[in-house]
Amino acid sequence: MNIKKALVLGMLLSCQSVTAAPLSYDLQAKKVADNTWIFKGKLEDFSNKNGGNIVNTGFIETEVGVVVIDTGPSLRYGKEMRKAIEQITDKPIKYVFNTHHHPDHFLGNQAFSDIDIYSLPKTKSQLAQHGNAFAENMYRLVGDWMRSTEAQLPTKTIDTTGLKLGSHHLKLMPFSGHTGSDLVIFDEKTGVLFASDMVFYQRALTTPHTPGIQLWRDEISKLKAINYKVLIPGHGPISANKAPLDQMSAYLNWLDNTLIAAAKAGLSMNEVIKLPISDEFAGIKLSRYEFVRTVAHLYPGYEERFF
Amino acid sequence: MKTTIAILLLSTAIPASASSEVVDPLESPLWEYMREQFIGDDKFVFDDRVKVELPEFAEDPTQVPITIDAEALNGQIQRIVAWADLNPIQHIFTYYPHPDIVPRVSLRIKVQQGTAIRAAVLTKDNIWHVGGRYLDAAGGGCTTPSVANANPYWESHLGEMKSRFFPRQEGGRYKFKVIHPMDTGLVDAIPEFYIQQVAVRSRSGQDLAKMDLSQPVSENPVITFDVRNSGEKHSVWLRDNGGNEFEQEL
Repeated sequence: MNIKKALVLGMLLSCQSVTAAPLSYDLQAKKVADNTWIFKGKLEDFSNKNGGNIVNTGFIETEVGVVVIDTGPSLRYGKEMRKAIEQITDKPIKYVFNTHHHPDHFLGNQAFSDIDIYSLPKTKSQLAQHGNAFAENMYRLVGDWMRSTEAQLPTKTIDTTGLKLGSHHLKLMPFSGHTGSDLVIFDEKTGVLFASDMVFYQRALTTPHTPGIQLWRDEISKLKAINYKVLIPGHGPISANKAPLDQMSAYLNWLDNTLIAAAKAGLSMNEVIKLPISDEFAGIKLSRYEFVRTVAHLYPGYEERFF
Repeated sequence: MKTTIAILLLSTAIPASASSEVVDPLESPLWEYMREQFIGDDKFVFDDRVKVELPEFAEDPTQVPITIDAEALNGQIQRIVAWADLNPIQHIFTYYPHPDIVPRVSLRIKVQQGTAIRAAVLTKDNIWHVGGRYLDAAGGGCTTPSVANANPYWESHLGEMKSRFFPRQEGGRYKFKVIHPMDTGLVDAIPEFYIQQVAVRSRSGQDLAKMDLSQPVSENPVITFDVRNSGEKHSVWLRDNGGNEFEQEL
């Protein structure tokens, strides 16, 4: 019965792949400020359909060369991204940054293997430890889009808090709320804040490697002090105001309070994952899905506090 | 496209249900074998009143929360057997609840791949009531070395328990955690080492709940039981396959 089902499915799928167009992310650079572009990802989870393109990446064209911020989920993405950049500027790519060690932000590195790739030191060691496993898991999640993709480590680690490139002065700010090592880049000339996955907007945040909700929340307060003109979240729409940061604070507060109350009441994990999500966050995509994941990541720690 | 698949699936399902008396609602390829192992030739029914609660997917295949709830059959229960069809070691636990305890238990398990998770409740009329749900998983939970294997913390804390009583609307809940590697024996050069027996006892020494655990129960087990009479004091007793016994007042 199951074999039959698998065969029928297999036949359907194989018919489809024969007629399918070659895979393409169809990346469109969107200008967000002077000399600054982003490639906008979908507000979805990894799937065979989106090929892992759920992430915002970007680049800045300076007088002395181009700065690339994150390389996307696959070699194919990295190549398409590089081609799209070269259509906009003929300046050479000088710097590539991986903001943190999650697969959708670094698996395009192979497309930039002739250029120095930078990350925070801890990100590099996290990639050395988990990079291959992330790549393997992405093959499972999105399939053929990943073809020939391998985890390639950054070649250099960041040992400075700023970078002067022509008239652009980039502040390189290390945070840790999302993964323990998160790079935020602020272009003082244009006022663009590349917030990486420290900020999710209208898409539920993910917590597999957060050192803690409270720490993350404290760091969001620090980001609020930056006088930016445009905020580029790692996932979700860009914004010219503080709304993404307010949403982050509110959501992190709600998560923390909900998990504390649940642990105090002695709830089991299966009871916690069914708790209602505040109406305030009704517009946030994937909130139930990510809440279930967050409970798996963080609830044991909360339980521990209330034994 | 989606509707096409649905129609085709439906059409393959029809002959199966017409040709055999009872169809496994979870369509697991190992159902027949599991039935032989755990139920044998006894009478059984698939029964929604036996609730198996779990997330739809295993975010961490070494720590999947499951809740088995047979409250609807309270008073008639002889024992409850839980298993995962596609685990290399299928049996999770056998549970003998006393009528004074709510026949509902929560703990976390390891899964090796996506699988049906089952609970079969044997009632006093000698009929098995089988409930279950499908869990999606990337897998590898049973053949991943325990965290303890890389960290000697457990060696000096083996069997240490933390527990707390939570008053509920009716009665109360005990949740306890015990430090134990719960090694499956399926990882190269790490022998099986796991808690085999759990008992929740009242002051009078009566077993309110008795459980036999198997290797798929997660490392450092966290187990939740609900009792009807919150006034009475209880203790928990454990024994592992190395013969170590641990006991603590709850």
